[in-house]
Amino acid sequence: MKPSARPLSKSVSCADPDAWKRARPGSAAFELHGAGVVFSRRTALTEASLVVDPGEALALVGPSGAGKTTLLRLLNASHVPTSGTVCVDYRRLDLLPPKELRAVRARIGFVHQDLALVPNYRVLQNVIAGSLGRLGFAGGVRAMLFPTRVEIERAAVILERVGIAAKLYQRTDSLSGGERQRVALARALYQEPSALLLDEPVSSVDPARARDMVELVTAISRERGITLVVSIHDIGLARDHFPRLVGLRAGRIVFDGPTATIATSDLSALYSLEGLARVEPAHAH
Amino acid sequence: MSSLRTHTDPGPRPFPVTPRLAVALSIGIAAVIAWLALDAPLAKLVPGEGGLRVVRAFFAAALHPALEYESPVPEGTPHILAQALAAARRTVVFAAAGMSVALLLGIVLGFFSTTAWWSGDLAGGTSPLRRAYARSLGPTIWTAARASIVVMRSVHELLWAVLFLAAFGLNTTGAVAAIAIPYGGTLAKIFSEMIEESPRDAAHALRAAGAGPLQVFVFGLVPRAGPDLAAYSFYRFECAVRSAAVLGFFGFPTLGYAIAQSFENLHYAEVWTYLYALILLVVLLELWSGALRRRFVA
Repeated sequence: MKPSARPLSKSVSCADPDAWKRARPGSAAFELHGAGVVFSRRTALTEASLVVDPGEALALVGPSGAGKTTLLRLLNASHVPTSGTVCVDYRRLDLLPPKELRAVRARIGFVHQDLALVPNYRVLQNVIAGSLGRLGFAGGVRAMLFPTRVEIERAAVILERVGIAAKLYQRTDSLSGGERQRVALARALYQEPSALLLDEPVSSVDPARARDMVELVTAISRERGITLVVSIHDIGLARDHFPRLVGLRAGRIVFDGPTATIATSDLSALYSLEGLARVEPAHAH
Repeated sequence: MSSLRTHTDPGPRPFPVTPRLAVALSIGIAAVIAWLALDAPLAKLVPGEGGLRVVRAFFAAALHPALEYESPVPEGTPHILAQALAAARRTVVFAAAGMSVALLLGIVLGFFSTTAWWSGDLAGGTSPLRRAYARSLGPTIWTAARASIVVMRSVHELLWAVLFLAAFGLNTTGAVAAIAIPYGGTLAKIFSEMIEESPRDAAHALRAAGAGPLQVFVFGLVPRAGPDLAAYSFYRFECAVRSAAVLGFFGFPTLGYAIAQSFENLHYAEVWTYLYALILLVVLLELWSGALRRRFVA
């Protein structure tokens, strides 16, 4: 298996100090250069290099524990790489002052695997919480406690788009798992993001709903021109909905390319337990 | 080899006192020493003839609380039930005033005595300024908050009341402060623990979406603990009502004052009237807080 089939884009790169001027406001670009993440006792990601162009849609595939979540968290600056660099919109995150880092985070919508909603909030509050990154403390208090008509309408429009318009004033913990997932997506969309990152949107719902969810996010990011990165372990779903696949295994990117060019053998090798044990015995878990 | 030995010879046993046995033995020995030191023979628990009469009279009065004063009262004294009602109202007012200040103290000190606002990834940022802040200013404020909580809590509200009586005389502010200080300390301690233990997933999500540390704390962390915080505050309010009643024994015009007066005059039926008023009050509060809990928590 060849590591990283796709060469790093030469046209625009964060190595070029002026590249950030070419960033597109509505759709984010990501770059990883030899990024590694080591937690206290475990290597989660090794030498990961990846270029995501503005408006692209790609799926990270691989078994659980392969490093998909870690990679996503590098992209939204939740994790700091132990080695290598991460760039968003052609700017190195490690060189950004805290304020600008906040601004970068505020423009990246992230749907967590466990959704990470506040269960005793109303749906409206959970959605509006998506705007906290753009507001100061006082503004945040105002928006959370006394949302304006405009804010409520914006939230309602987004909820309608994700298919749960009627739930605006319901308590979040009264919703089903699939509905809660849509609230989490609505919160991310309320950020007016230039990129959407979804971590295993399939794991918390049944297969039919998972397919609906993937179709929904791909459609929404296409119509808004948002960059989309989804981690997903269901290969079929990934093949059907994403033009580009990045395969991860034991913390390494093992293939990266247009979906059509990825061989079935590559995909099945990704999940073979035997190979996994041989490649990285220390990191399998 | 070892399996053979279990059948025939258990082998050399280790010293028979295991750690567990040692702990049990020392507790037992400590109990005996305490018993001897306290000099508390059980015989003293059996009341004498006079004591028995008082006890009997007191509990007999429970069945017929006074609906009129048991001795003549000056002209213009309100009816005993009106008196009980007024005392109950003042008890609630004292408790509510004390609790309001205590809540404020509890929220502020509770915030400062959590680690979430200054340490760890929730506080965020890896800039040198942030790191210095997380190393020096944060822990200093945190320690100061923890220390003041300990001081506030370790002195009982009745001792605070005695202290304030001595300093300021019989004065309402003193009574309110006597409740507010230890209750504020307790609330702060429990609040901070509840907030530290609440799930952090939503807080991390808000952090990842660019929210600032204070926003993360207020909107991501506190709401997860919200129902518990509210339930505990209600419980403490009930405690504050009982404390306010007891403060009456020092002369503050709450139910305790009426109880103490009637008790000194051996008017047990009147005592029971006031006790029932207190019980009723606590039951009503319990019903009210229960209803609110069901509405907000369930």
